Amino acid sequence: MGSVVTFNVTEILEIPIGVGEITAWNLLYFVIILIVGVAVAKAVSVNVRRALSERLPKNERELLTKLIYYIIVLWAIVIALPQLKFDLSGLLVAGGIAGLVIGFASQSVVANLVSGLFLMFEHPIKIGDNINVADVSGSVEDIRILSTVVKTYDGIYVRIPNEQVFTSNITNYVHNAARRFEYNIGIRYQDDANEAIRIASEVISTHPFALKSPAPSVFVDNLGDNSVNLTVYIWAPARNWWDVRTDLLWKIKQELEENGIEIPFPQRTVWFADGLEVKNRTAGKKETEE
Amino acid sequence: MFGRYRGTFHREDGDLLVETERNGCLLTYRRKCGGQTFERLLVSKTGEIVINPVEPVNLPKEITNFLQIEFSPMVIEPGATQTVYLKFPVEIGVFLEAPRDIEVLDVFGLGTQKYTLYGSPTSGVIARWYQSAVYTEIPPVECLCEGVMVLSIHNASHEWVEVSCAVFESTDMKIYYGDFVATTATMKVISTTMAETDFVDAPLRPGMVKSVELYSARKIPVINRGYLMEWGLS
Repeated sequence: MGSVVTFNVTEILEIPIGVGEITAWNLLYFVIILIVGVAVAKAVSVNVRRALSERLPKNERELLTKLIYYIIVLWAIVIALPQLKFDLSGLLVAGGIAGLVIGFASQSVVANLVSGLFLMFEHPIKIGDNINVADVSGSVEDIRILSTVVKTYDGIYVRIPNEQVFTSNITNYVHNAARRFEYNIGIRYQDDANEAIRIASEVISTHPFALKSPAPSVFVDNLGDNSVNLTVYIWAPARNWWDVRTDLLWKIKQELEENGIEIPFPQRTVWFADGLEVKNRTAGKKETEE
Repeated sequence: MFGRYRGTFHREDGDLLVETERNGCLLTYRRKCGGQTFERLLVSKTGEIVINPVEPVNLPKEITNFLQIEFSPMVIEPGATQTVYLKFPVEIGVFLEAPRDIEVLDVFGLGTQKYTLYGSPTSGVIARWYQSAVYTEIPPVECLCEGVMVLSIHNASHEWVEVSCAVFESTDMKIYYGDFVATTATMKVISTTMAETDFVDAPLRPGMVKSVELYSARKIPVINRGYLMEWGLS
């Protein structure tokens, strides 16, 4: 006959786990409260994001939802900690020493956290902006508590610690409403530069996003070795300037060529001081006669 | 062209064609304009298609909410109020309307577009730019390209002021249509460099129909508060 072993679950859960007076029950409660807290935080932040999707810009929306998420999680931790017989008032006393220890241990984490908070409130960059920071160029995908995620123009994911973002020079290409770009166009010396300027100005004026004001500027910038060099300055909406830039250059080139104005190849006139060309020709003639 | 349509219809005006065609249980919406064709298959039993003029800030793509109209310079004495007529660009919106929802199907236009920067590059705004003469009576307009704006300008400052442009926030725009497209706006000059602009929700003539606004169709909540022009009036 085999022996029957009975388990009383309640009794088992009340057995101390070996850390102070904490029982398995306490540990279970702690985990459950945390899981519920994280679940509630996720649900609330998802709903807030959905509710605000058309009311707030993406950046503010993400900031708000993250803030709500972390507040709820923090709240759950505060509620759950007493289950581990953790006296929160003791935190105040221990806080000083623990703070020092944790501070030294997690210097970079804290620096990134603080930098992240500053980035969120100072707004040098927003989600979707085209930026260059710490030698990384691309569009901002996310600004997190500890790091900023940038998607480079060739689609690569780059995570930059917030401390590095905050202490680096940030170039935000779309922060302003409009930006200027330029072309350098060379034409032949025998072409009429005034006509070229007129044609280029006309092409620019037909493009919707080549801004009317500040007005575009087309002028002879310098007389180069092989061409008369025109410089073209065009202002465009900051978020569309690349489209305008890629669109207009070819149109200007085509229009110039249709009007007989060509973009010259590099060329050099060589003068022979000793009449080398004549001698060769004479030698050539003699060979033909023979 | 403007109006409400149910089922199949066909409207043509010069280069512009808008139609729906029954294709079994589906409806094909087709628009041809400026050499471009746009088509969508519609699944609808009770829906209506609404075609009306909309806020002119959507083409070639939506990048701003602002409309700047440049006109012949007017010098206005302190305290004076004057109503003038301007022309403004018109874009045409096509909406799908069901009893409980309305959705934007298509936006197109016959005219050309040009954008400008009002203010400085750092804190100014991009605006759709349009040039108009100043009229003292309702000017003749090409109904599908341009509309008539009644602009009431009031110089509330204590100085003579020269005004040659007005910038509006298009989300406030109330467009009415009938024989022609019209909107009513106000401009209150505060100083030689500042003015408040706003739209008035009133038809120019009795019997005009109010257009469905793009912003309400897109369910974007908008607070009608006008626009403060703080970067000059010319």
